[in-house]
Amino acid sequence: MDISLEVNGRTENLDVGPGVTLLDALRERLDVTGPKKGCDRGQCGACTVHVGGRPVLACLTLAATVHEPVTTVDGLATGDDLHPVQQAFVDQDALQCGFCTSGQIMSAVAAVEQDVDDVREFMSGNLCRCSAYPNIVAAIEQARRTDASV
Amino acid sequence: MTPTRLEAPLKVTGRAKYGSDHNLPGMLHGYVVTSTIAHGEVTAMDVTAAKAAPGVVAVYSPFDPLVLRSPSNPMMGNTWVPLQDRDVTHRGQPVAFVVAETFEQARDAAALVEVSYAERPARTTLADHLDLGVDAPPGFDGTPSTHVVLDEGVESIDEAFAASAVVAGGTYTTPAQNHAAMEPHSAVAHWDGESLTVYSGNQAAAMQQGELASALELAPSAVHTVNPYVGGAFGGKGRTSVPAFLAAAASRALGRPVKAALTREQVFTATANRPETLQEVTLGADRDGTLVAVRHDSWCSAATDLSFVEPTSAGSGHAYRTPNLAISQKVVPLNIPRTTFMRAPGEAPGSFALESAMDELAVALNMDPIELRLRNSSLGPVGSDLQWSSKYLDDCYRIGADRFGWSARTPGGREDGDWLVGMGTATAMFPALQFPATTEITLRADDTALVSVGGADPGTGLLTVMALLGAESLDIPPERITPRLGLSAYPPGGLSGGSTATVSVGSAIVVTASAVLEELQAIASAPGAPFEGHDVTYADGRVLGGGRSMTFGELLTALGRDSISATGSAGPGEELTKHSFSSFGAQFCEVRVHRWTREVRVSRLLGVYDAGRIVNDKAARSQLMGGMIWGVSAALHEGLETEGDGRFANGDLAGYLVPVNADIPDIDVHFVQHPDTLHNPIGARGVGEIGIVGVAAAIANAVYNATGIRVRHTPITIEDLLEG
Repeated sequence: MDISLEVNGRTENLDVGPGVTLLDALRERLDVTGPKKGCDRGQCGACTVHVGGRPVLACLTLAATVHEPVTTVDGLATGDDLHPVQQAFVDQDALQCGFCTSGQIMSAVAAVEQDVDDVREFMSGNLCRCSAYPNIVAAIEQARRTDASV
Repeated sequence: MTPTRLEAPLKVTGRAKYGSDHNLPGMLHGYVVTSTIAHGEVTAMDVTAAKAAPGVVAVYSPFDPLVLRSPSNPMMGNTWVPLQDRDVTHRGQPVAFVVAETFEQARDAAALVEVSYAERPARTTLADHLDLGVDAPPGFDGTPSTHVVLDEGVESIDEAFAASAVVAGGTYTTPAQNHAAMEPHSAVAHWDGESLTVYSGNQAAAMQQGELASALELAPSAVHTVNPYVGGAFGGKGRTSVPAFLAAAASRALGRPVKAALTREQVFTATANRPETLQEVTLGADRDGTLVAVRHDSWCSAATDLSFVEPTSAGSGHAYRTPNLAISQKVVPLNIPRTTFMRAPGEAPGSFALESAMDELAVALNMDPIELRLRNSSLGPVGSDLQWSSKYLDDCYRIGADRFGWSARTPGGREDGDWLVGMGTATAMFPALQFPATTEITLRADDTALVSVGGADPGTGLLTVMALLGAESLDIPPERITPRLGLSAYPPGGLSGGSTATVSVGSAIVVTASAVLEELQAIASAPGAPFEGHDVTYADGRVLGGGRSMTFGELLTALGRDSISATGSAGPGEELTKHSFSSFGAQFCEVRVHRWTREVRVSRLLGVYDAGRIVNDKAARSQLMGGMIWGVSAALHEGLETEGDGRFANGDLAGYLVPVNADIPDIDVHFVQHPDTLHNPIGARGVGEIGIVGVAAAIANAVYNATGIRVRHTPITIEDLLEG
């Protein structure tokens, strides 16, 4: 079926089967490979993207059902200027292998935007086997300070 | 130095390309089919419907196989390759491979493959089959797996226990575990008619290149592996993966690029896991806590090919001084997926048993557990004349006790409202190893340098360490170093395993830098060169002689050269005849156990480590913190549960529990930095694995301190702490 997706500000028209997930549409059709496939079952969070500004699991979302703009980690930075959450992840060493990082960052952006009370609880849908958890919390705290100062 | 990770900007923007992030023109997609029995034979496979399904290009099986030879290398032994015969040795074994135009087509057609089996009874649990245990072969360093040391005049280890005033210990068990790296094993392979390029996360490019070349009967020079970014490994990506073998062979057969990835569920059965263990530990001591005898007998599970041993007893011959020691190691063949190295193989589950037993001995002696450990601190492996090159475990305990507030601990724990609060401690040890490595350094006319090695950085921080140690060796700022790794095109070395990469690659960088600078000085003073006829020296990125100096870039420019390069190698040597080498640490843990729900929360963790020189404080701290969280995971979360039919009851990331952010408190990591230059010129000893060692025991010991309940298995669950 013909669908149209707005991904990181660009409108993409593609022909996909009704069972194609947003994650596979992004990764395999549009070569947007920031979101990762860690489980394909909504168990790990590595595929987290924003749809209409809300974090969703791209592996549990059918591409054909998406009608709002999609933002992935690939579209967060402005040119060479990292988003404050991206910069905070670099500064706080909030990653090791980096495979979960795309999803962590998209959830972290939501945590900052929503000014959540319990960061650890909010971030618990994103597994990090390298276990950078304390540094991820520190990164979100840094980004919140940046956010508050602008 | 504490720079941020060099590749971090690529990882936070999605621009770091992992294996399956590569999309090539005309690429096909492969999907693996796995067995639904644990033991038997594939008698038939009906692939008619699968072959007729939309987009399907090929279906490979034992009846229509992709030809692959089983590769072998000295470190890993034989590596199993799929589809070569009809034997099924475990449930979830790859038995077919469907290739189609799209991922969805391959997946859907895979569901149409009908496999018939002749099933045989399966043995799947360790506890029921200890009688099948055979003596493990010697360790890779030649250490026998069964080892007895007796004091003069002592006839047997039992006699030593009979003469001990206090005896403590028990039977400890740990489950099979899966590395659960966030990146499932995957590959993109492209055969261009003469050579093969494979993008697939791995722990060393040269090893993967060698295995693929051998499996496909190609010259190694015809295989190019590209893995600069690896989504976690932890020992689970040492061997070349099933998708990499299948994608490579299928690409060669079909003449098109092929992408293949295991599903998360398949990662649990089609790769390899940490073995399950059962360990009996007995400790005998005098009334003052001086150890008289140590006994540690272990059994570990293995696949039917007995291709790996989890050496849990070995560490008990290193940790404490004892006049009498008896250790043994048996391995039990079962119809389970293959087993392999996983972060701190041997030490992680072995330390759970030994360090729990030490706590039990401290209780029996009514002695502080730290005092007991320090009283028996070893000078070297039991029965060896080679003492530790450098050991500051006492400092680790002293500093740790102070930072953690250990003096507030009481033998019965304390209460805080509805929470029972306890503290526990344990010793961490991990051998300091070095593997041979070769590096290449290129000095360029723009005053920058390339430092290259084929090894991997699956989140360890090796790339950044290469820049730091390259800068140090070439006497220029790190910003002027471009480190490169992960490609088989670079020199072999820097395998990510055994906590060795910093030491192995760093030592090679020292040798290579010296070689390239020697060459630089030689061309500087050669006839017709700017420093002709002068004695030249090198410092601060400059060649000096005859009262003037030039940067190496200026010199190369003056000589009309773009660059000069050298390669150099380093490896373990004579130091092995003079000392034993290990890293040490003291783990501290506070737990809170809810009085009514019996939920266990780790509320504080501290690790103080004596791991030689720390090259990059920031990354080392992160890696140790990660290791300690793996210890929390082992203690309270993870463990594969095997059904009688060989199925994993929890073989996915919903059922196989690993900690999430909310499970983890703030963690304190501290270093006692004493460079160990007896071991290697860098003075570092590696920090990848020691962080996990001892943590599970420290937690179990803290749970005992809080509740009075001794749990001798992991993971510790609520059920274990329900009373009466």
